[in-house]
Amino acid sequence: MSAEETARFEPRIVAFCCNWCSYAGADLAGGMRLKYRPNLVPIRVMCSARVAPQFIIRAFQEGADGVLVAGCHIGDCHYVKGNFITAKRVAILRRLIEFMGIPRERLRLEWIAASEGDKYARVADAFTEEIRALGPSPIKDIRFGERSRSCASC
Amino acid sequence: MRELLKTRVAEMLREGRVDGVVGLIESHGEPLPYLFTADDTAALERISTGELQGRLAELIPGVVRYPLGKILTAVARKHPDKRFGVMCRACDERVVFGLFQNLQLDPDKVEILGLPCKEELARACSCPAPAPRSAIVDQPSREAWDRADLERIDAMALDERFAFWVEELGRCIKCYGCRNACPVCFCDVCTLQDDGLVKKGEIPAELPAFQLTRAWHMVGRCVDCGLCQEACPMDIPIRTIYRKVRSIVGELFDYFPGERDGGKSPLEQLGDGSFPIQ
Ligand code: SF4
Ligand code: SF4
Ligand code: FES
Repeated sequence: MSAEETARFEPRIVAFCCNWCSYAGADLAGGMRLKYRPNLVPIRVMCSARVAPQFIIRAFQEGADGVLVAGCHIGDCHYVKGNFITAKRVAILRRLIEFMGIPRERLRLEWIAASEGDKYARVADAFTEEIRALGPSPIKDIRFGERSRSCASC
Repeated sequence: MRELLKTRVAEMLREGRVDGVVGLIESHGEPLPYLFTADDTAALERISTGELQGRLAELIPGVVRYPLGKILTAVARKHPDKRFGVMCRACDERVVFGLFQNLQLDPDKVEILGLPCKEELARACSCPAPAPRSAIVDQPSREAWDRADLERIDAMALDERFAFWVEELGRCIKCYGCRNACPVCFCDVCTLQDDGLVKKGEIPAELPAFQLTRAWHMVGRCVDCGLCQEACPMDIPIRTIYRKVRSIVGELFDYFPGERDGGKSPLEQLGDGSFPIQ
């Protein structure tokens, strides 16, 4: 990408935010009238552990340039230990997508408390710029051409 | 070895230690999966270690493998109160241990008859550990694991990797052979066929969603038996993806599915919360 294209590219980032902390943090960032990049599309989930890896894979397949998973800090999860499993899942999935040629930086995990509106804003800015530097997700450009067929049974 | 296997199976059945033994029977020169039972003595005469016989042996070199662990799971589900023996190569044995770890088989109801593989087969399979621990005969342990496939991809730049997988996975005709052959794929409802998560009705399979989904499900499960690779009609190096999964889980959690003392998969345990963001 040329410098000009990089500047024009607006990343689309899916942000899975847990209801009890990170979504409230995002809400607070708004309430505090903080200015931050508008590239994150928040999706509210009840707990970061509700973010099945399939959801992340789906977001990438649909063309997300980046995916943020945001949950409560360890010890603060509303369901006590949900985020323990989130940390493990994301660590594995980041390495797995990288093996497929998708930089692991496109998937990010952050713990953001309800009181951390400023952290939400900082993460939104930093992540957006990181993804901007990586450029658009190559998944959007996959074309199968004449290999494509419809198939009634699969 | 065949004679010894036959004696051991006959013994288990006669003594009533098990109600049936999942193994291979020779049929027209070809080994096929079979459930041996005490009242079926004629079948025992045709028990096989998997070697091809007669003309087939000339046509196809080597031996035939089947997902015996998967067959055992199906049989055991139907007869939860019965006990079974199972003939196992080292890969089958890892499968059975993996199924114990994933609570699909009950260790108290399964007896393993391990058969060591010949060197040629171990090499052909690039087997990570060809010596079953419950072997019925002594054997040298010979490491035949070849990591060249993994190393080749690990050495590629990311965009090169991506192009590589688009080319390879772009051949996928979505036959589900990899899933069907996989002995540790045991769910009743398969995410690969959930239209909301992996799009239905078109080939090649959605990329990367189809293989990433399947790979994700191999976390804490894949025992690197290679049956998926043998099943793939499009020659896609899918086993390499699952090997990667296995090595990621090994590196992060020191957990290797199919090892007897491995305990539960890291995703089946919450842990103490000390696992950091990484
Ligand atoms: S190597 Fe393939 S068939 Fe064997 S356990 Fe792993 S994914 Fe399943
Ligand atoms: S066996 Fe090969 S062609 Fe069939 S679904 Fe799996 S990867 Fe695709
Ligand atoms: S409720 Fe926030 S991570 Fe579980």
